[in-house]
Amino acid sequence: MAFLELDNVSKSFGQVEAVQNFNLQAERGEFVSFLGPSGCGKTTTLRMIAGFELPTAGTILISGNDVTFKPPQKRNTGMVFQAYALFPNMTVADNIGFGLKVAKKPSAEIKKRVAEMLALIKMEKFGDRYPYQLSGGQQQRVALARAIAIQPQVLLLDEPLSALDAKIRVALRQEIRAIQRELGITTVYVTHDQEEALSLSDRVVVMNNGCIEQVGTPFEIYNFPQTEFTAQFVGTLNRIGATVRDVANGELLIDSQRIVTAQKLEGVSNGTAVTLSIRPERISFAADGRKPNGLNVRVENITFLGSIVRVQVRAGDNVFLMDTFNNPFLKLPDIGDVVEITFSKEAVLVLKHA
Amino acid sequence: MTHINQAEILNHPLRVTRTRNISWAWLGVLPFFVFAIAFLILPASYLVVGSLQDTKENFTLANFADMFQPEILGAYWLSIQVSVVTAVGGGLLGFMLAYATILGGLPRWVRNALMTFSGVASNFSGVPLAFAFIATLGRTGFITALLKTAFGLNIYEYGFNLYSFLGLSLAYMYFQFPLMVLIIAPALDGIKREWREASENLGATSWQYWRYVALPILLPSLLGTMILLFGNALGAYATAFALTGGTFGLATILIGRQIRGEVLQNPGLGYAVAVGMVIIMALSVSIYSWLQRRSERWLR
Repeated sequence: MAFLELDNVSKSFGQVEAVQNFNLQAERGEFVSFLGPSGCGKTTTLRMIAGFELPTAGTILISGNDVTFKPPQKRNTGMVFQAYALFPNMTVADNIGFGLKVAKKPSAEIKKRVAEMLALIKMEKFGDRYPYQLSGGQQQRVALARAIAIQPQVLLLDEPLSALDAKIRVALRQEIRAIQRELGITTVYVTHDQEEALSLSDRVVVMNNGCIEQVGTPFEIYNFPQTEFTAQFVGTLNRIGATVRDVANGELLIDSQRIVTAQKLEGVSNGTAVTLSIRPERISFAADGRKPNGLNVRVENITFLGSIVRVQVRAGDNVFLMDTFNNPFLKLPDIGDVVEITFSKEAVLVLKHA
Repeated sequence: MTHINQAEILNHPLRVTRTRNISWAWLGVLPFFVFAIAFLILPASYLVVGSLQDTKENFTLANFADMFQPEILGAYWLSIQVSVVTAVGGGLLGFMLAYATILGGLPRWVRNALMTFSGVASNFSGVPLAFAFIATLGRTGFITALLKTAFGLNIYEYGFNLYSFLGLSLAYMYFQFPLMVLIIAPALDGIKREWREASENLGATSWQYWRYVALPILLPSLLGTMILLFGNALGAYATAFALTGGTFGLATILIGRQIRGEVLQNPGLGYAVAVGMVIIMALSVSIYSWLQRRSERWLR
């Protein structure tokens, strides 16, 4: 039985359906991310788990107990907010010990737990400081410590890193994951940052317009997107117009040039126009080693992005991108050159709703 | 090691000569300084000098010694009583109104209406306010008459008297609570929804949230504003004078009597009592500023 279970959960605000028939089963200790654009319903779903919003329909179970209509105080979830939400009138130690204080735990126990938490977030010397004396990253670590000090059954994180700068974001997300693994807390993490979701999670729930688009491991989500939205939202994607040439053999035409997909073509017939997706990093120059598919294209632009070089090419009306690792001996074509690019059959995905 | 002497630095072609240009922005604040000097610094200095002179303009400390007369101490005490009662009463009423409209989830128009009313009412004092109260709650006032004819209730028979401590406090409350609403509103706006949610998430009840989070955060603003209301009432003169005809022994009325020369003129004593008031006001404003700074640090 799943530890955290959302069964057909829906939420409406007046006429607006914020979340529709949301189903999720998370195992104990699992790290699940809700990934999607603003307004897709991910925060509303998280707030329903926390008890700040009541579902219009459906049930929420934590460890087999129905908490759907329980108040937030009775759910034993720990929440970390986007804007930290530390109590400004309390020191770091008082913030961390707040949950234990209101639970009327003995002061010796509170003190011991606070010290453990400060050690966990590596802020032993900051116990007497006030939130306004801390940086954003430090405040968020304190917020995390405060949330886990009460030993919650489920840890909920609502875009906890979005207010921080890039470097701190990367460092802190690794810290969050390490702490989560160490304590084994079932965690739900809301983010619109695909890199964050992919790097942190055991599973990712991709959401759009209040609905789940796809649930899967980061590997599945990135490499085998099941819907056009997932394919577009996660990672950089080339969307290429093509025509089915031979359904049985998976043959397609791009700008009259024949390519083959490993995917079984279903619901289409010869001559049907479809949309293909190919990740930029799965395309390479044929001169570096040929793969089953080859296309002649014209180079339109070359952009250095540090560790990779992004090349924009054109085949007829289709403009797409290819990424190649940068190295000092890399030989690149000139803009305007016609070159052959190549990719595997598995790299070509025919999108649903094409 | 290369040594560069001072002359080389001064004669270096890249040396930038900085000339201090006076900003035109000073021109904008010039009226403020002129106003402050003319109507604050000079009168205050005049008061201090006057309080240290006798009727023949000789230096004396007798005016300050005379302040310990029972009549003057009584006037101070009465002024402080009226100020405390109206600051606490107006403060609590204003806070509850502001809380209901800002954090209570009422429609936005209620807040707008309250703010507009408060803006007007907090400046409605002096003779017009006294007249308004006489016209409504005086012996023949509109409300008094209405209560008598509609409900057979004569409030004056039940001990109410507009020209008493209670009546004066009621009149003061009219401008005190709107001032509280105006000043406490930004502090209430600064209370974040996430604080309540975080405390609930950590298991706190509504009472515990108020006890440990909201009230301590609001307390500096609340106390600071009440101190400001205290100062506001302490310095009020025209309302009390117009309402009671100068018979109510507040410190401000006493100062007026001494300076205008009713009964026994002693401007020096009047100035000394006024200096005492200025000191109390200055203390109030200092405590208010300190509490506000503390509150702002938390709410930013």
